[in-house]
Amino acid sequence: MMLLQLLAVERLKIRRKAIWPLIAAGGFGVVLLQAANYALRYDYLMKLNADNPWGHMLSEMHFLAVPSLIMGLAIIASMIAGVEHATNSWKQTLALPLSRLSVYAAKFVLLMGLMFAACTMLAVGTVVLGLCLSLGTDIPYTELLRVSYLPLLAALPIGAVQLWLSVSLANQAIPLTVGVLGTVVSMFGMTLGDFVPYKWPMLDNQWNEPLIPAALGLTVGLLIYVAGSVHFVRKDVK
Amino acid sequence: MWAVLRSEWIKWRKSPILWLIFVSPALCSLIGLLESDDMSGGNQWDELLHTMGIMHALLLMPLLAGVFSASVCRLEHAGGGWKQLLALPVSRGAVYIGKFVSVMLLLLATQAVFLGALLLVGTIKGYTDPIQWPGLLFSLIGSWLACMPLASLQMGVSVAWASFAAPLAINAIFTLPNIIIANSERFAPYYPWDQPVLVMLSQQLDDGPDAFHLSMTTLCSVISVSFVLFFVVGQMYFRRKPI
Repeated sequence: MMLLQLLAVERLKIRRKAIWPLIAAGGFGVVLLQAANYALRYDYLMKLNADNPWGHMLSEMHFLAVPSLIMGLAIIASMIAGVEHATNSWKQTLALPLSRLSVYAAKFVLLMGLMFAACTMLAVGTVVLGLCLSLGTDIPYTELLRVSYLPLLAALPIGAVQLWLSVSLANQAIPLTVGVLGTVVSMFGMTLGDFVPYKWPMLDNQWNEPLIPAALGLTVGLLIYVAGSVHFVRKDVK
Repeated sequence: MWAVLRSEWIKWRKSPILWLIFVSPALCSLIGLLESDDMSGGNQWDELLHTMGIMHALLLMPLLAGVFSASVCRLEHAGGGWKQLLALPVSRGAVYIGKFVSVMLLLLATQAVFLGALLLVGTIKGYTDPIQWPGLLFSLIGSWLACMPLASLQMGVSVAWASFAAPLAINAIFTLPNIIIANSERFAPYYPWDQPVLVMLSQQLDDGPDAFHLSMTTLCSVISVSFVLFFVVGQMYFRRKPI
């Protein structure tokens, strides 16, 4: 119950901060980019993947979505934590009769909820784009859900780290640079070892089982989240 | 003008943004070290510049230009610093130029560190080919100059927006499509986020997307015109902005 109230508070704090347009830009932006990609070389791409047009589009979508997902996590985490940093109001927030654990939890749930919304926009946009490109009505829903939501689970550790850094450091240049670096590293994801978290959102591994990075992401992400909230509880705020 | 620059230097002398100049060269050196050399017979240093430079100029440099612009405005946005700074006997125009020059100097320092990293990686790999200094320096200085339109655009956005993350979000939204737009010879030269990589790799690629074979005159004129345009608009906006 308290968490719901806190979420409502957090929602008020991010009003008029252009976070929703940003989420839409992330979710539909990837779709637009893919649309441009197809518009520029429709015939070539259709000939190349005549046997499995949907599967190919989904895998390209996934490839474009991963860097946007990581950059998005960094930016949204910084904006959510930045509300208190910018107005020097950590003391005010924490002076309220709330446990620090739940304040941190609300921020984390908000971050993940916003990214979940972006992933949903991506999924819906992908279906619409596919239909517009006349890839057929034989939509592979399992694959669609896998490409849309499993990367988010696999990126949970990245989100937890970004939120931790953004909350604990006043200078947002540091968490955002970490996010920029992570984005670039993730583009080389395929060459990294299976144990590197920045590879997990690609869902590619030696066992060829996309559920493994997602499960790993969920576990490690929750561990980092717990570590972050313990640190937040003990931290001195300015 | 000199005083403005010196006061900027004092402000970020001890801040972590100075460390950011090592970020891109360090990551690119890692890529350079891990990538195995293909024996295509080209000059080894050119191949290395290509391997390391594509990451540096295609993604990291545009993204860092945004981080630097947001960083030099951070202190002013944070503590009501704009009022304090503009109450001093300096013109707003000079303040804006000082901030822009700081960003360009940080980017120049990044290029210098990148050059050092490139030489280091080549030495570690035991390259024997002669270094082609004119081409190498052209790539590094050229891509630095090609950052100017982008940096002035980011400067304007950073001044306008008090949030640190917002200008960076804008920057990221426009940087990620780079990878696709770079393939288009029609649009790439007009896309500020793609200009650094086009200049940096213009001499290295014999085969590659057509966008990399543009005439230098076209690219140079697009870059200088868009720089003047973005800078003048940004500065005019800052001079009229109510603080």
